[in-house]
This record gives sequence, C-alpha cells and structure tokens, in this order.
Amino acid sequence: MASLVICFFLVVLFSACHEVSTSSDQLCIEKEANKTYNCENLGLSEIPDTLPNTTEFLEFSFNFLPTIQNTTFSRLIDLTFLDLTRCQINWIHDDTFQSHHQLSTLILTGNPLIFMAETAFNGPKSLKHLFLIQTGISSLEFIPPHNLENLESLHLGSNHISSIKLPNDFPAGNLKVLDFQNNAIHYLSREDMNSLKQATNLSLNFNSNDIKGIEPGAFSSQFFQSLNFGGTRDLSVIFSGLRNSTIQSLWLGTFEDIDNQYLSSATFQGLCDTSVESINLQKHHFSDFSSTTFRCFAQLQNLDLTATHLQELPSGIEGMNSLKKLVLNVNKFDQLCQINAANFPSLTHLYVKGNMKKLHLGTGCLEKLENLQKLDLSHSGIEASDCCNLQLKNLPHLQSLNLSYNELIGFQREAFQACPQLEILDLSFTHLHASAPQSPFQNLHHLKILNLSHSFLDTSNQLLLAGLPDLRHLNLQGNRFQDGSIPKNNLLQTVGSLEILVLSSSDLLSIDKQAFHGLDKMSHVDLSHNNLTSNSIDALSHLKGIYLNLAANAIGIISPHLLSILSQQSTINLSHNPLDCTCSNIHFLTWYKENLQKLEDLEETVCANPPSLKGVQLSDVRLSCGITPVGILFLTVFFLLVSILLIFAIKFFLRWKYQHI
Amino acid sequence: MNGLTAALLVWTLISPSGGGHGGRGEIWPTHVACRNEGLEVFYQSCDPLQDFGFSVDQCSKKLQPHLSIRFGIILREDIRELFLDVLLLTKGASVLNFSYPICEDDLPKFSFCGRRKGDLTQEASFKPSQMNCSLPLLPEHRVLFLPQTLSQLEVYLSGHVEQ
Repeated sequence: MASLVICFFLVVLFSACHEVSTSSDQLCIEKEANKTYNCENLGLSEIPDTLPNTTEFLEFSFNFLPTIQNTTFSRLIDLTFLDLTRCQINWIHDDTFQSHHQLSTLILTGNPLIFMAETAFNGPKSLKHLFLIQTGISSLEFIPPHNLENLESLHLGSNHISSIKLPNDFPAGNLKVLDFQNNAIHYLSREDMNSLKQATNLSLNFNSNDIKGIEPGAFSSQFFQSLNFGGTRDLSVIFSGLRNSTIQSLWLGTFEDIDNQYLSSATFQGLCDTSVESINLQKHHFSDFSSTTFRCFAQLQNLDLTATHLQELPSGIEGMNSLKKLVLNVNKFDQLCQINAANFPSLTHLYVKGNMKKLHLGTGCLEKLENLQKLDLSHSGIEASDCCNLQLKNLPHLQSLNLSYNELIGFQREAFQACPQLEILDLSFTHLHASAPQSPFQNLHHLKILNLSHSFLDTSNQLLLAGLPDLRHLNLQGNRFQDGSIPKNNLLQTVGSLEILVLSSSDLLSIDKQAFHGLDKMSHVDLSHNNLTSNSIDALSHLKGIYLNLAANAIGIISPHLLSILSQQSTINLSHNPLDCTCSNIHFLTWYKENLQKLEDLEETVCANPPSLKGVQLSDVRLSCGITPVGILFLTVFFLLVSILLIFAIKFFLRWKYQHI
Repeated sequence: MNGLTAALLVWTLISPSGGGHGGRGEIWPTHVACRNEGLEVFYQSCDPLQDFGFSVDQCSKKLQPHLSIRFGIILREDIRELFLDVLLLTKGASVLNFSYPICEDDLPKFSFCGRRKGDLTQEASFKPSQMNCSLPLLPEHRVLFLPQTLSQLEVYLSGHVEQ
C-alpha cells in the first residue's frame, strides 16, 4: 500500500505535464487583428463571415465575384483599402460602395468589366486611388465620373485606350498620377492635353505606347512632375512636342525587347526650348557622340545614361556646367578617366555601377569634381593594390563612397586621406587586404557607417578600425575570427562610439565576457547565424535597452544568471535555436512567457528538445516542474503516514525493549 | 556522344507568398517549349497557384547569343523589381547557380517591368511578348564556365519579386 502511494506521489512530483494549444484554422490570414486581412487565392464567392466588421485593409484578389453590388461588402463599412484584383468581376452595379465612406484605395486590376453603373463609385468621401489596369477599357467614357473629385491616382495601364482625352465632366483637379502604360496611344493633341489642365504637378506615364506624334504646342506652358515615354521609338517627336513646357523628371529610356534606335545631336534639338530637371535615356545607342550632343542640356541637373553602350565621354562637352547628378551605370569604360569628369564641374553625385568591363581607377580621374558628395563604383570589377589616396585625389567633400562587390582592394595606412569628410563607406563583398598593423581608416573623423561584410578581413589586426571617433554603424558580417572566438582584446575596442554592430554569419563559437567592454553606446547587436551558446550572452551584461538578435545560433539552455542580462534589453530574437524545453531550462521558459512583448519572431522560436516537443512554439509550452498543489497534498499525506509509522515503530520498540521491566 | 538527347527545362515561378496558402495539390501538366530533331525542351510550372505558357523560337543544339521566347503569365505580384534564379543540373549534380536581375528600379531591362499584380503578359493583347535573353548575362569580368557537353540537362528557374 505504502509503496503504491509513494509511486503515485513520485509520478505526481516529477511528471512534467505540458499542453499545446493550436489555433483553429482560419480561412483568411490575419495580418493585424481586427484590421488587416489577406484572403488571396481562396476561390471565395462572397465575403467570409469570419472577417470582423471592423476590417479596414482587405486583400481579396484572385477570388470569384462575377457581380458586385451594394450587398457584397455592405457589412465591412470601415474599409479603406480594397484589393479586388482578378476576381472575374463583370458587373459593378449601382451603389456598390454606398456605405463605405472611408474607402480610399480601390483595386480592380485584371477584371473583365462589362459594365460599371453611373453610381458605382458613390459613397466614399475621399476615394484617392483607383486601379483599372487591364480591365478591357477602350474609352475613358467607360469610367463613371461621379464622386471622383478627390482622386489622386488613376491607373489605366494595359487597356485598349487610344486617346487620353478626359471626358468634359471628369474631375481632374486633385489628380497627381495618371498612368496609361501599355496602351495604344500614338498621338497626343492639344485638345487631349487641355483636358488635363485642371491637374497641377501631374505625373503622366506613357510607357510602352510608342508615341508617333505630338501636336505642336500640346504641352506648352504646362508643368509636369514627371513624364514617362519609355520605349518610344522616335525620341525627336517627343522632344519637339514638349517645347515650352516645364518638366521635373523626363523618362525616355528604352528596353531590351524594343528595337535599337540611334540618338544623334539632332534628336535633342527640341530640348533647347524646354525646361527639364532630370532625364533618363537608359539603353539607347548614341550614333555620334560628340562634344555638342548635349548642347541643349544646359539646365539639366540629373542625367541617367545607364547601359547606353558608352566606352568614353568626349572631352570639352558643352552645356553640362550645372549638372549635379550623373549616372553612368552598366557601360563599358576601361578607365575611370574616360568619363572626362572635367566636363561636369558642379557634379555632386556620380554613379559608375556595374561597369561591363574591369574598371581601372587610374590616378586623379575625378580630381576636378571638387563638389562631389556621393560616388558609387560598386559591381565594376575594380582591382587596386594601393588604394585610395591617388585614385580619389582631391575629393574634399565626398561623404558617401561605395566600392562594394569589386575584386580586390589593398590598403596602406590612412587610405582615405583624400576624402576626409567621408560619412558612409561601403566595402562589402570586396576582398580587402590591409597588412597588420595598418589602420587604413585612420583620421576619418566623420565616418558614421562602415560596411565591411564578406570582405575577408584580417580580424586579428587590433588596429584595423583605429581612428574612427564617430563610427556609429559597423557591419562585419561574414568575416572570420581566429578560432571562431572574439577575444578580450579585439579590433572593436577602438570604436567606442558604436551604436549598431553586425557580427552575423561569422562562424562564431564564443565571445569573451569582456569583448564588448568600452562599447557602452550600443543599441543594436546582431549576432545571428553563428554557433554561439548562451555563455556568450555574458558579454552583453553592461548593455541596456538594446535590440539583440541571437537567431540561428546553438543556444539550448539559458541559465538563470543570464536572464537578468536579457531582461534589461528591449527586443530579443531567439528564433531558429535548438532551445531546450525540459525542466532543466524551466527558468528560461518561465522568463520567456513573462517577456513575450520583448521577443521577436515568436513563430520561429521553437523547441528542439525533448523529441515530443520538437517544433512546438516556446510560447505554447506549459511545463510544470515544481511541486503542484496535488503534489503538496500527497507530500503532506506521505509525511503524515511516515510520522505515524515512526511513532508506532518507536512505541513498539520501547514496549519490546522495556517489556521485561 | 551524339550530343544532346533530351533536355528537361523546369520553370518555377514562385512568388514570395506563393508557397503560403496555395498548394491545392495540383500538378501542372508538362509542356513542350520547343522540339527539334535531337533536342526537346520540356517545362512544368512548380508554382502551386498557376501554370504559365512558354516557348522558344529556335531549338538548336547551338544556342544563339540572343534567342526569342514567348511567355504568357498572370502576374501574382507587382514586378517593379524582378529577379531570376537559375540552377543548372546535369546528371543530378549542380553545375551552375546564379541570380540575375530582370527588373530593377534603376534599370528596368524589359518593357514589361513595372507592371502590376493581376496584369498579364500575353501575346494576343501585347505586341512583343518576345524578349531577347542575352547570353552571357554577366559582365565580361565575371567569367562563366559552362560544361562542354550537357547531356540530360535540367534547368531550374525561379523568379522572385522584391518589394
């Protein structure tokens, strides 16, 4: 009897009972409680009853609603965003959105519309964005103009529209974006453009329409935020048609699937009488690139010549004195000097990204660009053994330099003396060579952001980051440390102003307790994708209120003394770790549940051990390892029984011992 | 070796949300992209949500530097940014794996870049649904090694969209 009781008692005492709660399957995905729902691709033919009346953002694309009318969405009166892309809608009957006063975005893309009632859009107090892309529209008369006074963007791409003339009663007063891409518009008349006169600051998109003619004066004395004539075969038509207009941004690029066209000086003739701030001419060919080609670009501030098959720019180009930003990405320069930078003395931004040939930096090729603030030379196969003082000679105002995704760059000490104002330096994915004990970044007093990810750094060089008094953000992702460990004395000790430190994917096994000493300002530490165990958390004991990413490491058990270090941080990510969900980790598991608001990526934070709980979210684990009330009851009964037995035993013993007296 | 005997071309166009809740257990049929004596190219959509149409104008063992394709699909995402991932396998072993941008904000290579979710690219309604795939796709300083004989070649292509 007693042994049975003891057995039962032991079972109660030591059994760890756990419950796993699973959420019931939901039809739509809840993205934000009571507010945002995604019901895409579910083949629904009505609004499901599970959606709360308070839904504001509803993604309902790829369902089945052949007819929509005032009863279809009547329950969801708080809707502000409704996406009905490809719901096979044929009919939009009267007063469909009558009760939706808050509706501001309506997406009807890809529906084979047969009919929209005159009062189809009545109801919303401020309908701002309307998408009617690929709805088979051939005339703008098809769109009921009622209640569109507040419309800011109207998207009419991929239809059969051949004239942009808005109907007389169409309210265009607030229109900012009018998108006609991929239609059949070949001619723009004065009458067409006059119908848009109410709209100010308009952005017009005629991409993939192939405009063949513009009536002279059609655009004159009008201002446009942006005009896009992408893929137009004859650009001289555009330039002469735009005479006397003012345009902030003009996109005239072409594409790989459009036949080659050759631009000559004559093409740009019309531009002399037009005021344009920025032009994009991507993927065009220039037939005769001479110093006079750009003579009508005098007022231009930004010029984008991406992938224009350039091997060099001629010297002595006229009329580029005010150019601020020049994009020469994806061209075929051999030498940086071939861009003849002296043509553009006012340049503040220069991009030579993704050069198709190995780019040689040469010496002082940019020395005339005294105002240059941003330089992007990434993805260009650059190799330089002793960088960068000669290559970047005389760039006193350079603030941002991108040399990422190049081949090999070697540094001596004080490699960036030529650009002392640097604030951002990106060297990621470029093989760097700085022989110890050099300090290549010495004296970059203003450098705030340094990206050295995947750059094969010699991390044992403790002086590598010396001389960076203002560095806030350092990315060392993907660099190896000796023996996979960051020792007490390491290269981070010279950068005491650091706020953001990224050490992810660095094959780290351990971090010394003192490794981050002196880094008191840190607010964001990313140690994800390493092989760290919980012992490394000790290194963060002096930090408070930080974002700490420990995802994808080797953390199993977190001992109680480390929990106080975690408690003092603001956000922690422990996902994708082999976390232990047995009683030996009970302190952490209890802490976890009490601090859910601090934890990130809860869905991916799952148990690895014991096997019965593998894959279960930590927040769903109920583990009882202490003594339960039932246990206490049994324990009391047990002790009571034992004491009674003991008393009886003593009594019998005394009686037996003294029975002869 | 009698050159190429058969080639299997599998296109996958998995949108980021694609794997999420689609998966109705359907397997799309295998189509012929092109067929010539000696070379056959098949493909099958691995997107659980939808099939797509694809054909190549020429089917020769010697690939021309530019080949024209026809392509029809309903877009499940905006393609302001669109990337192509290619994994080349022969005899079960991977020989090439690379990623290539089709549409980027600062370089929309094709006229269809920038189209929206729900729009489609279809030859009937869109003039050239034909694009020139330039091979090699990489800049000259990135050397691309291709195996000399490719028998039983499998190509896995997948697209992804960044938002």
